[in-house]
Amino acid sequence: MNPPDADLITTAALGELRHELRTPVNHIVGYAEMLLEDVPATEPDRRARLEEALGAARDVLRLINGALTPVEGRAIPAAAVTELYQRLRDPQQRIVRSVTAMMSTPGTILDTQFAQDLERILVAAHRLVPEGKAPAPVAIAGSSGGGVAGQALILVVDDDENNREVLRRRLVRENHAVEVAENGRRALEMIAARSFDLVLLDMLMPDTDGYEVLVQIKEDPATRDIPVIMISALDDMQNIVRCIAHGAEDFLPKPFDPVLLRARISASLEKKRLRDLEKEYLRQVDRVIAAASAVEAGTYEGGALGEVAQRGDALGRLARVFDGMAARVKAREDRLKTQVEDLQREIGVAREASREMAVPVELGGQLVAGQRFAERYEIVRLVGRGGMGAVYRARDRELDEDVAIKTVRRELVSDPEILERFKGEIRLARRISDRNVVRTHDFGESEGVYYLTMEFVEGITVRELIDTRGKVGITSTLAIASQLAHSLVIAHGVGVIHRDIKPQNLLLDGDGVLKVMDFGVARLMEGGANRTEAGLLLGTPAYMPPEQFLGENVDARSDLYAAGVVLYECLTGRLPIEAGSMMQLIARRLQEEPPAPMAVNPEVPAAVSALVMRLMARKPEDRVQSAAELVAELQALG
Amino acid sequence: MPTILLVEDNEMNRDMLSRRLERRGYTVVIAVDGPEGVAKGSAGGHDLILLDMSLPDLDGWEVARRLRAPPIGLRIPIIALTAHAMAGDREKALEAGCDDYDTKPVELARLLGKIETLLQRPS
Repeated sequence: MNPPDADLITTAALGELRHELRTPVNHIVGYAEMLLEDVPATEPDRRARLEEALGAARDVLRLINGALTPVEGRAIPAAAVTELYQRLRDPQQRIVRSVTAMMSTPGTILDTQFAQDLERILVAAHRLVPEGKAPAPVAIAGSSGGGVAGQALILVVDDDENNREVLRRRLVRENHAVEVAENGRRALEMIAARSFDLVLLDMLMPDTDGYEVLVQIKEDPATRDIPVIMISALDDMQNIVRCIAHGAEDFLPKPFDPVLLRARISASLEKKRLRDLEKEYLRQVDRVIAAASAVEAGTYEGGALGEVAQRGDALGRLARVFDGMAARVKAREDRLKTQVEDLQREIGVAREASREMAVPVELGGQLVAGQRFAERYEIVRLVGRGGMGAVYRARDRELDEDVAIKTVRRELVSDPEILERFKGEIRLARRISDRNVVRTHDFGESEGVYYLTMEFVEGITVRELIDTRGKVGITSTLAIASQLAHSLVIAHGVGVIHRDIKPQNLLLDGDGVLKVMDFGVARLMEGGANRTEAGLLLGTPAYMPPEQFLGENVDARSDLYAAGVVLYECLTGRLPIEAGSMMQLIARRLQEEPPAPMAVNPEVPAAVSALVMRLMARKPEDRVQSAAELVAELQALG
Repeated sequence: MPTILLVEDNEMNRDMLSRRLERRGYTVVIAVDGPEGVAKGSAGGHDLILLDMSLPDLDGWEVARRLRAPPIGLRIPIIALTAHAMAGDREKALEAGCDDYDTKPVELARLLGKIETLLQRPS
């Protein structure tokens, strides 16, 4: 007799199946070959992994061609397809392993396109053997290497020897491994010793009956997930209900019907398989959550998600994306750390040098050391002088901490309108609270002296750093750049434009933290009375964007121009345009483009040089458009 | 360099094959299904067509037939691509008006050989 049609594959279905399987192979081979073209010989590990994926994909193709080619027009049995899916698992796993290994190699940052293409290979690999096509074999506890699909380890508990034997024989015929127990106590001992996939439990037994055994199995967290099917006579419905209420999976009435027996057992085993999958899934979700906590704590190691990242579902994708993000964040942090360390070194050297060169600041300010000022400050010493007035280090007696006091020359604030505008600006600046901004505390007047108080920072200015070092190293300059950009994001965010970003206004403390001074102060200097005063503006126009010295609208992009000039000076040790007078400077800036930093200092990378030039573009619309954009550009530079 | 019209409904196949061809210097124009393949093919401007056979609705064989038949009467080479790879597929493709036939997974060197041969053929 011929086998029934249902067990054979039609030619049309065969074509479909070949299509379904060869399409993902096409993706895997195509993308892997393309990636191989991109990976240079200097990266043998990555090449080897791609070769491994390619080799496995070719094995897949051989298996497909071997199993799905009809010989002399004879149809192919359906069982051959099931077997094919089983055999595809190994090469599929080889592909998944080599691709995920590339995705989560610690310390490796993949190019976005490369990472996307790897993701595509992974998707294709999972399409090869979708879930359910080749169920994972049910593991048999105590056996050495899993088992045949569908096989399970079942415990039959019955005090009647005939019943035990009938059940055992039937189950063995169904390919299951079977153990028997003749009473409840023995059953509990066996369950404690081995991990069964299913228990068939007779209800009525002397001493410990089925119900008691069930209760004990379900009370123990180690065994409560083992499905239990109660065996009972149909007329014992009350006990059946009681058992199901206590967690029994199902019941089997005596005498056994073989079809019903098979159906209920496979349904229970399938439910257990799904439960196990779910538990495994939740365990892996926990690992992703733990990884997130590790990232927060700074202890995450790339690739730690291991097999979670190999899953073909959304969780696997989440784990891979997470791993990639964590690797990028770590790489960025490492880069920033190196930049700051370099900067700290340079600051250390510069401080040594400036100590040697230190000339005592002349006295002669309005205030003198030891003087009590504004009823709460004790002047420690004069630390600097500028166009606006003098700067003192002072002790705040009320808060018992050092502050900087900046006196403001009387004529700068003699116009009430200018004074009001200045106060408004200071009110805004006081709202900026950030580690990269020198905090402004107060503005006041005492004994006819107008003054500002602000955070006192022990450190050197970028001016001193450039002057003592000649120029600043590339990584240190990038550390200055990213902190300066960050401070501008914060200040521009509250509506404060600095208007006078220059090396003298950028303080560096001993830890390499940059602090921008004088937010809101420059506004005062724009008063008409001071424009012509010698020395007041001379230092500044070099950093001014054309729109500022032409008296046009000044906006956030004006600060970015000044930042560009500061970075230019750090990288090259000179100003982009050098001129003998302010008029000459303005004229030259309007007429010529300065040489790119890399033309002055060949060590400056092209991308850094181009970014600085873009910050210094003559027209605001040609510049980097916002401080946030500058932060992003700097991050992209690495 | 010659322009190739790639008619392919599968996104990954399109992405992969078009990028691989572009790396070899070809310009690739994409059509994502049969009707778009017929429309773009009949509009002209290409030197060769790579045509997937298992497109939904209007399949590759039908696309080839329509492009070859009047009123379109297209004469540029068409290479059929299929992942079925069953006996008889090749003959069916040639009957529909394709000039050559290749199977997926694509062996790039083999496919490029076919493309170059057909492009050199006097039309």
